[in-house]
Amino acid sequence: MSQVKRIVIAAVCAALCIVLPMAFHSIPNAGALWLPMHIPVMVSGLVAGPVAGAVTGLLGPVLSSLLTGMPAAPILPSMTCELVVYGLVSGLLCAHVRTGRLPLDLYVSLVGAMICGRIVGGLLQALIFSAGSYSLAAWATAYFLTGLPGIVLQLVVVVPVVVALERAGLVPARYGTDR
Amino acid sequence: MRSVGGYVWVDSPLHRAPAAAKLAGLMAAAALVVLASTPLELALASAGVAALVAVSRVGWRVAARAAWGLRWFLLAVLLLNAFLLSDVDPILSLGPASLTVEGISQGARVVTRSLLVVVLGTLLTATTRPQELVAGVRTLLLPLARLGIPTEAAALAVGVTVQFVPTLLRESRQIMRAQALRCGNAAPRGVMRRAAGFVRLLVPMFVSAVRRADELSIAMEARGYRLSPSRESAGGQERKMSS
Repeated sequence: MSQVKRIVIAAVCAALCIVLPMAFHSIPNAGALWLPMHIPVMVSGLVAGPVAGAVTGLLGPVLSSLLTGMPAAPILPSMTCELVVYGLVSGLLCAHVRTGRLPLDLYVSLVGAMICGRIVGGLLQALIFSAGSYSLAAWATAYFLTGLPGIVLQLVVVVPVVVALERAGLVPARYGTDR
Repeated sequence: MRSVGGYVWVDSPLHRAPAAAKLAGLMAAAALVVLASTPLELALASAGVAALVAVSRVGWRVAARAAWGLRWFLLAVLLLNAFLLSDVDPILSLGPASLTVEGISQGARVVTRSLLVVVLGTLLTATTRPQELVAGVRTLLLPLARLGIPTEAAALAVGVTVQFVPTLLRESRQIMRAQALRCGNAAPRGVMRRAAGFVRLLVPMFVSAVRRADELSIAMEARGYRLSPSRESAGGQERKMSS
């Protein structure tokens, strides 16, 4: 995949980071529950690599906050850092994990990125953004309990989206005959 | 579905100001607002933002649109701070939660800062066209190019993102209508049913978005656009992006 296409895919996924939450926000408290902004970041990392994933993770929340007011300014820095890690790690893992089966590669990369992003997000909250007033219980509640519907949604949606993009011939096939 | 804060077609000093200056001003103003902590500092910041709204001539309703969309979130922030921040000298105790003066003042500070930053962001998008915004980002990033940072790629990404938002919004509405015609309403009553309806939209939305990305990148490369140090001028690049 060319550099131009990687950057354009990253930018289109960043645009989806703005559009999807707008669609989801007709559901009460959808941002915290369904985490709609995470999905394009993961997809960008998985199909276009770690740099594109990180670019999507950076541009998505910043431009969304600027254009729609979501996420709100106080949570923007921590959310941006977390999303950059999701995009970066999903791309890195997808580039290095090769089990011979596309769905397994994607699930390993996705789950790895979800775990790394939450750990880094919690560490940043504890050390920088909420230093001194952050606990393990608050981390577990915010990242695993409140966002449980979003975690399930990511596990259900992200891999089929990437497989659909491969089958549509829009991104290079990972394995020659694995369709 | 909510709308994106868009450009307001009036003439004002803010509309005429260079986009790069407005972007730099937004960052500086947001930093000042975040640093403001005393009631006097917050009042001065609020007066400054109100003056900017008046000068911009976009109207109070437009300036407050994004902030109004966040009303429930901000109310939750205020209540959480008011009841959970401290338990010293409570005005009211409700089980483990205590309403305190310290909590109310901290909640009011956070809400005021958020409102001011949101209004500043709305003012930027209401007084700056997307193309000007991209040019402003490119201008601001220019010094970083000397450090070897790929600023052209960053400006390209920002430009494509801003230009794709209205397109993807339109397409998502079309996909919703098509789904509603084929298999029922995509946004039915009930939270879980509504969420399930949106999940059905995700795969076609992604396929459609990446197909557009594919077409755009092919068109750009066919016209000789390359992300390399020996690239063509910024004007030439913008012409290719819009084609």
